[in-house]
Amino acid sequence: MSLLDKRILLVTGKGGVGKSTLAASLALAAALRGKRVLLLETHGSKRIPRVFGKRALDYKVQHLTNNLHHLSVTSEKALEEYIVGVIKIRALYKLVFRNRVMGPFMDAVPGLHELIQLGKVMDLERAKERGRPEWDLIVVDAPATGHGLSMLNAPASMMELTRKGPFYENAKLVQALWGDPERTGLLLVTLPEAMPVNETLDLYGRLGDYQKQLVLCVLNEVHAAPATSAQWAQASPHLDTPKLHAAKKLADRHMGRIHRQEHARERLGALPCSLAELSFLGHRDLDLADITQLAEQLGGAL
Amino acid sequence: MSLRVLVCCGSGGVGKTTTSAALAMQAALSGQRVAVLTIDPARRLADSLGIGPLSNTPQRVPLDELGVETAGHLDALMLDMKATWDGVVRRFGGSPEAQQRILDNRYYGLASTRLAGSHEYMAMQRLYELYESGDYDLILLDTPPTRHAMEVLSAPQRLNGLFDEGVMHWLSLPRSKRGFAALERGSEVVVSVLKRLIGAGTMEEIAEFFDAMQGLWAGFQERSTAVEDLLASNETRFVLVTTPAPAARREAQEFADLLANTKRPFGGFVVNRVVPAPSAEARVSPADLPERPDSISIETWQAASLTLLGAADRQQVLSDGESKALEELREQASGSVPLWPLPELEADVHDLRSLAVLAGHLAPAIEALKQV
Repeated sequence: MSLLDKRILLVTGKGGVGKSTLAASLALAAALRGKRVLLLETHGSKRIPRVFGKRALDYKVQHLTNNLHHLSVTSEKALEEYIVGVIKIRALYKLVFRNRVMGPFMDAVPGLHELIQLGKVMDLERAKERGRPEWDLIVVDAPATGHGLSMLNAPASMMELTRKGPFYENAKLVQALWGDPERTGLLLVTLPEAMPVNETLDLYGRLGDYQKQLVLCVLNEVHAAPATSAQWAQASPHLDTPKLHAAKKLADRHMGRIHRQEHARERLGALPCSLAELSFLGHRDLDLADITQLAEQLGGAL
Repeated sequence: MSLRVLVCCGSGGVGKTTTSAALAMQAALSGQRVAVLTIDPARRLADSLGIGPLSNTPQRVPLDELGVETAGHLDALMLDMKATWDGVVRRFGGSPEAQQRILDNRYYGLASTRLAGSHEYMAMQRLYELYESGDYDLILLDTPPTRHAMEVLSAPQRLNGLFDEGVMHWLSLPRSKRGFAALERGSEVVVSVLKRLIGAGTMEEIAEFFDAMQGLWAGFQERSTAVEDLLASNETRFVLVTTPAPAARREAQEFADLLANTKRPFGGFVVNRVVPAPSAEARVSPADLPERPDSISIETWQAASLTLLGAADRQQVLSDGESKALEELREQASGSVPLWPLPELEADVHDLRSLAVLAGHLAPAIEALKQV
């Protein structure tokens, strides 16, 4: 079964490893294969629509290209929509739920925000258009904090807190979708250095029941090299002439990076999923050509 | 007045924890009594400091293993959320029965580890305890990675708002009929909606928690104000850790603006992992290569030669991109904000000695920051 046959793909990993970049490339790759895709961002970043030359909309579906759409669902907005749905009057929500006193209280109910966010994705997964699902695939760019783990654990937190009642039932429904390996897959993104790999393996260890839903690990910012570190180790001692000394020092540095990269690859091999790699494209803001290139690189892994 | 507190902020993955440790080490090597308080449970930091797993109590870092004489010393600790919360309850919670009532509350058990902003708040509390103890000349705080950097600053205030008298009134409304009529109607809506959402029993428990916390609140409030004052005073500097990568840089810039807007003392940027430009000598041509030794296969020799010949160009591309990034950061930084680039090290920081190399590069930063 292809990864793209899932209904939801959640992209997670530590901050700064390129989650948004991967989520966008993955969504584009799926759309290019004819899927109707919704790229859902959870942290309020406005970057991705801009890459497609579009304006970021506030809690509204934005068309990016062909079959690809974008929606930003921050937890604040999702909570507002949910509660307004219950009490029916938006002005009242602002007045009594978001004032100086109640605002922090609402923020303090453990897992509430995350649960509502997951619930919103569930609604989108169920949405129908002329009898068929509105979206073939929803790619979720998870929040950076706590590896997005707290988001996945939100239903359990809420069930533990409430033990019965409507929210308990709601959390159970949400759990049923997010915990279903048939419909929901997880992708871990990481960088080819020791520390990010440690944290990725650690995150995998803490996924608990979600472990069986890991579908792909993506090594981002992989550097190219004409030689393997073994080849370099063998040949480089013969290249240390006075004339070549400065160049060799630079090459040693680069090959040190390559060596760490090889080691990272090897360690990630322990994960029970395949490993995809994306090239390092330089420290700059990526544009549409870059995202398209990365989407092509992902192709084989899908 | 002297510098007593350094707060290291930055987005995830920029090397904030390592930078905090290196700054702390440099200050200790310059003769100060230093503590570094980290939120990051990464084993690696403990390893690189040459000590066992970090805990809530200070552990001495064996600086003497570096073979450097210093009058200063370095202690490291890791924030234990639950223990710090319990400490606050014990300190301000009134009678032993009242304290126990809070500690036994089920919502407290969840809230004390999961409440949004709790990490930041308790980090500040622990920081203040260390400050008050007088045991240290300088304390470094490695802040938690945040979704939005701003949360580090706003979280303590948000949590304060939570324990504000207001919320107690709202939630314990059936017991204390106070406040304006409109507010009461509003709070009835809130309470009834919340009851529907999370169940009446849970609401009851939460209300009980806030009721029990009421006694604690005055002490809490006083302490938070003291922390706020310390963080805005001339004894504190905020240091923003970033890398030349666009996302990290953008977030550092946003944070710098926020510091300026909230009138917090901004010390400067530490830019991690900067690749230096290649020297002219590093540019070599195929004519410079020696003969292939017989022991090396043609394939291996070619691969290694290409690696060597391309080294300068490869480094130049990286370096160009990064100088542009640094320039942008310098331009956007208002006024005369210092910026300390750290070269990308040849190996990861993994022991005391490699941390000392990084610390050495931060000497100018520590010297500049001490001039308050």
